[in-house]
Amino acid sequence: MKNKIKVERAIINITQAKLAEMIGVSRQTVNAMELNKYVPSTVLALKISKIFNKPVNEIFFLEAKD
Amino acid sequence: MKSRFLFSHKYKPLGWFLFLIGLIFGIVLVIYDFDYFNLEIKVFPLIGESGVFSVNRSLEWSTNNIADELVAIFIIVGGILVAFSKTKDEDEYISKIRMESLIWATYVNYGVLILAVLLVFDLSFFSVLIYNMFTVLLFFIIRFHYVLYKSKKVIEDEE
Repeated sequence: MKNKIKVERAIINITQAKLAEMIGVSRQTVNAMELNKYVPSTVLALKISKIFNKPVNEIFFLEAKD
Repeated sequence: MKSRFLFSHKYKPLGWFLFLIGLIFGIVLVIYDFDYFNLEIKVFPLIGESGVFSVNRSLEWSTNNIADELVAIFIIVGGILVAFSKTKDEDEYISKIRMESLIWATYVNYGVLILAVLLVFDLSFFSVLIYNMFTVLLFFIIRFHYVLYKSKKVIEDEE
């Protein structure tokens, strides 16, 4: 799975630390998601979608191998 | 995030304190002698024997130097608290690192034990069994904190 968290974050101009604080996770988690090293839970994905005010499937994408 | 079976973060310093005290005194006992500190008290063995090495009979009061018992309990209780107290910002990603580290530590621990079974014999193997009481915890603590440290370092390097 891939995601556009980094892009979306740039659009509303917030840092990783700020996003981490807003969704209640550690900075490592935000960083690992942006590097596609970690697939968040549905709960976390929904929280992220709420922050960016976009549906989940406009932020997260399946890849061929999924 | 709710995580079952983990202790609150506030027990972590206590865990480090007990664990390190236990390790330091444990090393002293191993280097010098298991009777280096004289803490002879009355004990009540549940299972005992009366042989060459021991005169503790089952379910009869006798005496024992409890220095090694104290050290073992300090290392185990301290190690459990260090390993399984939440980090300051425990979340689902850190829980994943935690679980992977636990699996890793179990494999490494038994890998080392298998090597020891094949290569260490007689009374030397008894020492292996002593160390093996603590190595799962030790390997887990090292690997978990190393991976956490590495993932924090990545963030700092980006700044």
